[in-house]
Amino acid sequence: MHDISDLELRGVPGVFVASDEFVTAADSQSKSLGYSAMARVFTPHPVQDRTDDEMTAYADAAFDEIVSQITAG
Amino acid sequence: MSTRTILDPTGERTVAERARLARPASLDGLTVGLLDISKPRGDVFLDRLEERLTEVGASVKRYRKPTFAKPAPVDLRHEIATECQVVIEALAD
Amino acid sequence: MSAPTLPDGLVVVVKRDCETCQTVVPVLRQLAGAAAVTIYTQDDPDFPGEPSAIHDADLAVSWHHDIETVPTVIKVADGAEVERTVGWHRDEWERLTGVAELGPDLPAMRPGCGSKSVDPDLVDELRARHGGSVLRSRRIDVADAEDEIELMFNRGWTDGLPVIPPTEARVLAMLEGTSRAPDEIVATVPPDLVDVTVEKVAIAAVMAGCKPEYLPWVLTSVEAVCNDEFNMHGLLATTMPVGPVIVCSGPGTRKIGMNSGINALGQGNRANSTIGRALQLVVRNVGGGRPGEVDRATHGSTAKLSFCFAEDDESSPYGTLAGARGVEPGVDALTVFAGEAPHCIVDQLSRTPESLANTLAHQLQAMHHHKLILAFDAILVMGPEHARVFADAGWDRDRILFELHMRLTTPVDQLARGAGGIEEGIPTSSAGAFLAPDTSAGPTALPKFRPDGLMLAYAGGGAGLFSALIAGWVNGEMGSRPVTRAVRY
Repeated sequence: MHDISDLELRGVPGVFVASDEFVTAADSQSKSLGYSAMARVFTPHPVQDRTDDEMTAYADAAFDEIVSQITAG
Repeated sequence: MSTRTILDPTGERTVAERARLARPASLDGLTVGLLDISKPRGDVFLDRLEERLTEVGASVKRYRKPTFAKPAPVDLRHEIATECQVVIEALAD
Repeated sequence: MSAPTLPDGLVVVVKRDCETCQTVVPVLRQLAGAAAVTIYTQDDPDFPGEPSAIHDADLAVSWHHDIETVPTVIKVADGAEVERTVGWHRDEWERLTGVAELGPDLPAMRPGCGSKSVDPDLVDELRARHGGSVLRSRRIDVADAEDEIELMFNRGWTDGLPVIPPTEARVLAMLEGTSRAPDEIVATVPPDLVDVTVEKVAIAAVMAGCKPEYLPWVLTSVEAVCNDEFNMHGLLATTMPVGPVIVCSGPGTRKIGMNSGINALGQGNRANSTIGRALQLVVRNVGGGRPGEVDRATHGSTAKLSFCFAEDDESSPYGTLAGARGVEPGVDALTVFAGEAPHCIVDQLSRTPESLANTLAHQLQAMHHHKLILAFDAILVMGPEHARVFADAGWDRDRILFELHMRLTTPVDQLARGAGGIEEGIPTSSAGAFLAPDTSAGPTALPKFRPDGLMLAYAGGGAGLFSALIAGWVNGEMGSRPVTRAVRY
C-alpha cells in the first residue's frame, strides 16, 4: 500500500488489489499511512492454489470495481 | 489524545484527511500501469486485467517489483509515474 | 475545560519543598481557626497536614490563577479574587486576612519560593495541558507510520522546505509573544478570502521557525498585506516574479535580533528569514495562494520564500523608509512592498554625489525595461558606502530623490514603441495620458517613476560600494501600493 500512497503523491491515481484476507490489514495500514481513503478492491481468498481459469474469473469479477476506483463519477 | 497531534494550518475550508487524487473520467486512451507485487498467481490475474483494459480502450504497461516484502524501488515508482496515468497494484494475499 | 474557581474566603497556595511555607504552618493554623481558609498544596498532599489541604496535583489551580510564588495568600469574595500577597510578611498578611497577631514567633518577613507551576522544566507541559482549550484549530493526529515532517509536505503545507510541525505546545508558546487574544481576527486573506485569527498566524509562525517575540511582526505584516491597497491577490496571481517584501525598522528590530548589516537581504538570520516565511505560509495555507494554482509566476524567485530585512535606523544618514512614510522616530514599524529579489547596482569609483546619482539613475532607468515608465515603483536600498557619498555632500533624503528624479526623465521619442529598434515601449499616441489631465500639449519627456514611486531604505554591510534595487510590481489601481504599519504588540 506504500506504493499506491507514493504513486498518488507523484500524481498517479491508483488502486490496490488484495484477497479479502487483507481487509482489516488494509484498513489499519492505510490509516497508519495517514491515508484511510486509499482505493482498494478485494478478491476472494485463497489465491495461491487457484488454477488459471479461477484466477481469470477473479479478475473478471473484480474488473468493474477496479475501474470504478480509478475513474471519476 | 495522540501524543503526536498538530494543529491544522489551513483556513479549514476542506476536510483534514488526505484526499484521493482526482481520477480521469474514463480509461479510454490512457496508459494504465499494472504493478505486480510478485506473489504467486498475481501474474495470471493481471494478464486478464490487461485483456479487459485493452478492450475498453486503454493501453497497458506491465511492471514487477523485485519483492512483495518491501516498497517498490524508487526508480520503478518514477518509471511508472512518468509512463502511466493510472496504476493498479496486485495481488496481495 | 475552564479555569477552576477559587472558594470564597482565604486561599493559600503552598508546597512542602519551600522553607517559608514550612515556617508559616503555625500561621495557617491560626488562620484556619479564625476564618474560612482553603489550602492548596502543590507537591506533597500531606503538607501541611494540619490544617488539611487540597492537592493541586496537576497544578491546574496554580496555573490558572497565575501562582508564581509560594506561599501566596488570596482573598476571594463572590468567586473573584479581591487581592493577594506573596511570601511571608506579617503586616501584609494581617491586613489582608483581617486576623491580628499572626506568627508572633516568626520573623517579620521572609521571601517565598518559586511556585511549582512556573518551574521552567514544567512550563511548556503545563501550558499544553491547561492552555490547550484556548486553541480552536482542528487537530490532526499524526498516524503511527507517518513522519510529521513528511505529513506536512504530503498535505501541501510547505513552501518546498521542511516546516516545524505546529504542536499544541509550540503554538501555545508562540501565542505568548503577543497580548492579542488567539481568536482575534487579524485579516481576511486572499485569494480565498478566509478570515485568519491570531492563532492561525501563530501556527504559521511556528511552522516558519519563528520565536514568540517575532509574532507581533508577523501579525502586523499579515494585516499590512491583506487589504485592497496592497492587493495581495493581484500580487499572487501575476506572472511577474514578485512577492511581499517586508522592510522593518525601530528599536524592536534589534531586540529580536534582526539583521540590517552584512547580508541583510540574504539568508542566515532567523528573524529576517522566518518572519518573511511566516507571512508567505499564511498566504499559502490560509489564503490558498499556491504556485501553479492562483500563483502563475513565470519564473518566480527565491525571494518568494521569504524577503524581510531591517533597516539600520541607528546609522542611516537619511532616516528610515517608515519615517519617510509618516511613522514617528523610535516606533517599531514595517512597510510591505510588492517587489522582486534585489538587483545589485555597482559603482566603485564615484566620489562625487553627482557621479553616483548618474550611475543610480542609469540603472534605475533600466529597471524592468528602460522604455517602461511610471507603472512600477522601487525601493533603493543603499549600502553604507554609497550612502556616505551623499551624506558627506550634505544631501538628505529629499535632495537625493530630487537629484535622482531629475536624472530619470527621458525624451518621449526614446521611450516610444519601436524606438531604438525595440518594439517594447510606450504608445506615443497616448503619451499625454501619462501626465496629469491638465497637460494639454503632449509631453516631450517623461519620468521613470511617479512622484512617490522611488523609495529609499538603508541597510547592508559597511564594506561594498553597492546598492540593492528592489524592483516593484505594477503600481496604482491595477497593482499594489506599499503599506506601512506600526507594529502592534
